[in-house]
Amino acid sequence: MNTPLSAQSLLTRELLARRRPGYSLEAPFYLSDTILQADMEHIFGKHWIFVAVEPQVPEAGDYITVDFGNNSILIVRDDDMKIQAFHNVCRHRGSRLCASQQGVVGNIVCPYHQWTYDLTGKLIHAKHMGDDFDPSGLGLKPVHIRNLAGLLFICLAENPPEDFEQMAAEMTPYIAPHQLSQCKVAAQIDIVEDCNWKLTMENNRECYHCMSNHPELTISLYEYGFGYQPNEDNKADLQRFQDIMAANHERWEGMGLPSAEIDTLDDRITGFRTQRLPIDRSGQSQTMNAEVASKKLLADFVDPALGGLSFWTQPNSWHHFMSDHIVSFTVLPISATKTLVRTTWCVHKDAVEGVDYTKENLTAVWNATNDQDRRLVEESQIGISTGAYQPGPYSPFTEGLVEKFCNWYVNRLSVLTR
Amino acid sequence: MPTPFYAPDFAAPVSSPWNSDQDETLRCVHVRQETHDVKTFVLAANGPRNFRYLPGQFLTLELEIGGEKINRCYTLSSTPTRPDLVSITVKRVPGGTVSNWLHDNVRVGMELGAMGPSGEFSCFKSPAKSYLFLSGGSGVTPLMSMARALHDLGSDADIVFVHCARTPADVLFAEELTLMARNMPHFRIALVCEQHTPGSNYAGHLGRLDAARLAHIAPDFLQRDVYTCGPAPFMAAVRGLLAGGGFDMLHYREESFSFETLVADATHAPDNQEVPPDNIEVNYKIELQKMGKSFTCPSDQTVLQASVAAGFRLPSSCSGGACGTCKTKKISGTVEMKHAGGIRQREIDQGWFLPCCSKPTSDIVMDR
Ligand code: FES
Ligand code: FES
Ligand SMILES: [Fe+2]
Repeated sequence: MNTPLSAQSLLTRELLARRRPGYSLEAPFYLSDTILQADMEHIFGKHWIFVAVEPQVPEAGDYITVDFGNNSILIVRDDDMKIQAFHNVCRHRGSRLCASQQGVVGNIVCPYHQWTYDLTGKLIHAKHMGDDFDPSGLGLKPVHIRNLAGLLFICLAENPPEDFEQMAAEMTPYIAPHQLSQCKVAAQIDIVEDCNWKLTMENNRECYHCMSNHPELTISLYEYGFGYQPNEDNKADLQRFQDIMAANHERWEGMGLPSAEIDTLDDRITGFRTQRLPIDRSGQSQTMNAEVASKKLLADFVDPALGGLSFWTQPNSWHHFMSDHIVSFTVLPISATKTLVRTTWCVHKDAVEGVDYTKENLTAVWNATNDQDRRLVEESQIGISTGAYQPGPYSPFTEGLVEKFCNWYVNRLSVLTR
Repeated sequence: MPTPFYAPDFAAPVSSPWNSDQDETLRCVHVRQETHDVKTFVLAANGPRNFRYLPGQFLTLELEIGGEKINRCYTLSSTPTRPDLVSITVKRVPGGTVSNWLHDNVRVGMELGAMGPSGEFSCFKSPAKSYLFLSGGSGVTPLMSMARALHDLGSDADIVFVHCARTPADVLFAEELTLMARNMPHFRIALVCEQHTPGSNYAGHLGRLDAARLAHIAPDFLQRDVYTCGPAPFMAAVRGLLAGGGFDMLHYREESFSFETLVADATHAPDNQEVPPDNIEVNYKIELQKMGKSFTCPSDQTVLQASVAAGFRLPSSCSGGACGTCKTKKISGTVEMKHAGGIRQREIDQGWFLPCCSKPTSDIVMDR
């Protein structure tokens, strides 16, 4: 017998069913708490979510907490240097275990009644519980975690999507040369955007808006990397970009740096896209002069002009790996109309602040760009909430990746709410 | 030299107790080779005396070696239920001045300066129904003393006696343990040897004491009172095992068996006479800076125990170094800390310590 469906889920289903391909989503997708609940349950609850980079927990005992929706997740490196993830919730009476965003622990101790768990989640001490007390069934609830060449993904589902391994196999050769695990976090900045998380993601998946909104970013970034409508005026520029890309791809591949595009954004459960893109001018890094921000290059790199390896994952991240630093973006919903964007900059762990790099120069481009994007998505949210909004058509040239994000989202939600 | 054997007069009333303040020397009456590198020295008082002590306690020998006065503590392997003599069981240790000197020089008839007995490590201080005795190497001595006493008293305590040794040839008191197991209904022995000795008929556990072996040997270890003695790394491993298994560390007690062997096994500290053995009592002053109070802590007590005894309530929960609840910044002073994962080396380097599992080795000022 089928369980009767609530009006809300019927509405969600209907909205999903009538989504018109090539058009933006209907307003309730950005406004409704019901849809946000469905997003949290099915999108953030059943897929691999990018949450952190390995250098955030470099040593045994280091932990971070990651909060999204109503979840609080604890990620900790244990004494065997293995990274573990748990629900940050005590098995006694449910107190949150670690309140800070990062710290160091010996064992994990609940601040309420001091139930103590070792770093594998086992309950090792609980006072006043009597002689018959059996701690064995009361370990911390584990969360699946995978380390993809230094990028940490978690999955809250009991049975996580298995195609993560496929993504890891395809992406490791691209990412591993940058040796993220040998990096340190040079800066991490959280901003909260007053918009639905999907607007943040959609905005990231196109550069239609770049030329007129991102003066700092477009110093180093060619806007052609994400699609462009050819015309007489830009013909020569577009051709020049294609030539640069072809020549650089050959050079990079020859250095053992895979560069070709892989795009599975809307045809896999764990959808992703990657490509090594040329950088304008000196070709080195996303900075205000396109030159490296850190004199100490990553890994064993000697050539600073390695372009930028971009990696986009569904549903919530993008990354740029350059010769001198790595910048990662995590998007985590707070509510239907509030979204956390966490940007993390990593440099070689031996790079010295003030000598090899300054934080200011390292973060300048993306701080400016994030701020500009925040205004763009907040204005979208306001416009959509007025009620006058109606889904509009995507550019077939520059918004192909937005379409893929929405397709993936609608397909996944449709399958999971069926 | 004739054997100085005094046959006691069994018809006479009980002789007076031995008192190290009056009888300052003991005489060696017998030397027993236990294994290739372990000897037992059997000692008698000069004249009829009754030795009264708690099984598990130690004697302090006052020796003169190479013109220098040296004091060393040795736990007694003998039992007070056979009160006419005491014995210590000593292993030769590479570089161990005192132990090697005893092996090479002590002969029957020789006199040795002795003080004591003293020490807190005894199951007779807080008797329980069931015990788990865990010994490593010659750390077996205080546990042997307790077992011999329980045996002689006809106790029906439930005892699991675990002895860990390098090879079967290093196992101590094997025959006597077997005999006690035959006589006592609830006495069980388990041997754990790291390596086999070729040609031995040893059939016990091979390897090290780990969680699986412990669960196999004493599945009900959570219900037992645990007494441990052995080299420092061995005891650290045991604490880790127990804490990891959810053991309530209030029922855990340990003793390092002899200072010299402890140092040699831990391989870091030199054979340094200035460091007091941790079972000789010295009192240190512990200051609570913020509260503007202080109390005294004997060197064989943890800072937390002493603070409770002095009427102070420092935060704590597990009392076994696992939960970190008692973690405090140490402004000055030194301690010997035996934690079970409640603190990180990085925190220790920054000056934090766990009062519940730290014994002072100097006066201490705490940020409380
Ligand atoms: S709620 Fe965690 S110990 Fe009580
Ligand atoms: S009380 Fe648990 S570590 Fe001290
Ligand atoms: Fe943008």
